[in-house]
Amino acid sequence: MKPPIFITIMLTVISGTMIVMTTSHWLMVWIGFEMNLLAVIPILMKKYNPRATEAATKYFLTQATASMLLMMGIIINLLHSGQWTVSKDLNPMASIMMTIALAMKLGLAPFHFWVPEVTQGISMSSGLILLTWQKIAPLSILYQISPTINPSLLLTMAIMSVMVGGWGGLNQTQLRKIMAYSSIAHMGWMAAIMMYSPTMMILNLTIYIIMTLTTFMLFMHNSTTTTSSLSQTWNKTPLITSFILVLMMSLGGLPPLSGFIPKWMIIQGLTKNEMIMMPTLLAMTALLNLYFYMRLTYTTALTMFPSNNCMKMKWRFECTEKTTFLPPLIVMSTMLLPLAPMLSILD
Amino acid sequence: MLKIIVPTAMLMPMTWLSKPNMIWINSTTYSLLISLISLPYLNQLGDNSLNLSLLFFSDSLSAPLLVLTTWLLPLMLMASQSHLSKETLSRKKLYITMLIILQLLLIMTFTATELIMFYILFEATLIPTLIIITRWGNQTERLNAGLYFLFYTLMGSLPLLVALLYIQNTTGTLNFLVIQYWAKPISATWSNIFLWLACMMAFMVKMPLYGLHLWLPKAHVEAPIAGSMVLAAVLLKLGGYGMMRITILLNPATNQMAYPFMMLSLWGMVMTSSICLRQTDLKSLIAYSSVSHMALVIVAVLIQTPWSYMGATALMIAHGLTSSMLFCLANSNYERVHSRTMILARGLQTILPLMAAWWLLASLANLALPPTINLIGELFVVVASFSWSNMTIVLMGTNIIITALYTLYMLTTTQRGKYTHHIKNINPSFTRENALMALHLLPLLLLSLNPKIVLG
Repeated sequence: MKPPIFITIMLTVISGTMIVMTTSHWLMVWIGFEMNLLAVIPILMKKYNPRATEAATKYFLTQATASMLLMMGIIINLLHSGQWTVSKDLNPMASIMMTIALAMKLGLAPFHFWVPEVTQGISMSSGLILLTWQKIAPLSILYQISPTINPSLLLTMAIMSVMVGGWGGLNQTQLRKIMAYSSIAHMGWMAAIMMYSPTMMILNLTIYIIMTLTTFMLFMHNSTTTTSSLSQTWNKTPLITSFILVLMMSLGGLPPLSGFIPKWMIIQGLTKNEMIMMPTLLAMTALLNLYFYMRLTYTTALTMFPSNNCMKMKWRFECTEKTTFLPPLIVMSTMLLPLAPMLSILD
Repeated sequence: MLKIIVPTAMLMPMTWLSKPNMIWINSTTYSLLISLISLPYLNQLGDNSLNLSLLFFSDSLSAPLLVLTTWLLPLMLMASQSHLSKETLSRKKLYITMLIILQLLLIMTFTATELIMFYILFEATLIPTLIIITRWGNQTERLNAGLYFLFYTLMGSLPLLVALLYIQNTTGTLNFLVIQYWAKPISATWSNIFLWLACMMAFMVKMPLYGLHLWLPKAHVEAPIAGSMVLAAVLLKLGGYGMMRITILLNPATNQMAYPFMMLSLWGMVMTSSICLRQTDLKSLIAYSSVSHMALVIVAVLIQTPWSYMGATALMIAHGLTSSMLFCLANSNYERVHSRTMILARGLQTILPLMAAWWLLASLANLALPPTINLIGELFVVVASFSWSNMTIVLMGTNIIITALYTLYMLTTTQRGKYTHHIKNINPSFTRENALMALHLLPLLLLSLNPKIVLG
């Protein structure tokens, strides 16, 4: 893509999300979402092949439906409250519609079906933007309406998402689909705590974005898209094998890595609000996630995958994708746990 | 406390910056020095604990375990030198770094003040152990072993996290020193039963309890020697230590809740000892004997009398040293014959007589011969459980007999009898191996002169 066009499109994506996050008029929220959607479509189609076209079409259809549902919620709110200001007191009907619409945008179960297929059809860097940046706008609106969300709806979606994310990822070997199911599961965790402590949701989002950014950048650096090509990393860039090991364990939520912080804080928030079985269920189902991360770790770092002898003679190309900020991101994805006491400033 | 933690952390840069022929010497020497620094912690004053800082403390329960941990690191390094000799330099350094990280996390775990910090470090010890087992193990079953190890422990400990946070909400603090005074008695209602289960299952899996012990033979057998040593000697004791700490919070529900686990432990003791009599794999025999000894510790901790706690602590230290020594002896066999099957390396007394002396002493310690601390531990536990219920003496007595049986079976199979023809040209014992055995045995013998320091 030519640079001026790419810059324009990226600016539109960014400004779309910014509009959604900063505005106080419901119509501008919808406009922001639409700007974001239309501008992200060319980004999804950076590599022009039928798979990418199909992925972009699926993305467009689901997100447009979600935007229309959102508009419906906005109009119902306008009908009952008579004003367009984004505020906490929403009509319950409008709140349910908006929650469902935003869940479709995020990829929460049972509206998660588009996430693996869209993520698989696009290139790695587009997948990066899809799974990290595109989550910010819907979550910011959910943050703002969180006091009025129907608890049973949200908690059902949370539990289903964690389960779908866990069981769905088990049979995958394509890395983009694995990251898609990982995203579904993490969105489930975020939705679980949204009722009680939206700040923890932002914390989870931040740490999730850092870890996913790092993961995608490591995959791009290696230019791998499947588990079997990831298993040749020891040959190409041996340092990345240890990074993938720690990163996968961090994504799985093992202490003492930073992936544990959101899980710990969420379980703490939930137990403070007298919910005991649910965090136990969420934590146990997250172990399924850990299983397929462990499978990636095994093939990459801990065992030598079967390969032919010519692998050692492989011509090692310079990495073509821009992996900026990779070292600080790796540090942040793994070593943030000692800073956890600083979270008290968030209250 | 920092004077132990910072030098252990600094062992890592020292390993990476050492000259290639000095890595083993440097790391072994400095880790021995660190273990010397940790010895003064054994000098505990009366009933109090040494409160060293806001975050770390050590009392008469954690100090012997701390000294055991720091003592084991030089021994692990000495034991690993042979099987790593063919690896490249950076892989050797990586292995040593994994051991050092594990050591650091274990030191912090045993001296943690707050239960959440204990939990985080308890889980954190899984990662270096997993890497050691899966990356440097020898057979293809190590992949399965690592997964079983990781997932069994995590399944047990995630409810522990929820339970700890719940206790923090209701009691206000999880700082160990404070919570002894603030703990409310909990009766055996349904929700309290789940709380009890959530707290204890993590440690039951780690100990391991008889029904949940499936990960242990896999992990011990597939791990390289340093992995087996640290697993048997220290990681199992993490479970015992955690149980001892957390039972303070769980009275008096423990009176009813303990029954199923007591029965599992008592029966499991006898079962795993009996399985040892039919093992062909030497490391597997030692692994099952670990399960059997740890079942005694579980029984002791669940009874909750002062004598049983003293017995449990002594038994943990004694078993740590003995079991680690047995794994080293098994490894010296493995390095020569490259098989773990016992009958392939039999009749070693005629070929390696000094090693046979170490085998004899280790087996005698395993059988709980007086006056070793193994006996003191077992005796205290048996007497305490007899006072809890007269019938337990039957199973405990059976266990002691069967322990003696399989230990002597192991001894006579590997040492006595005629040697086979294929082992006539094995290497004689290295000085390093003899030193290793001596360093394992010496603390054991010295402690039998003054068992007070490990009796907690």
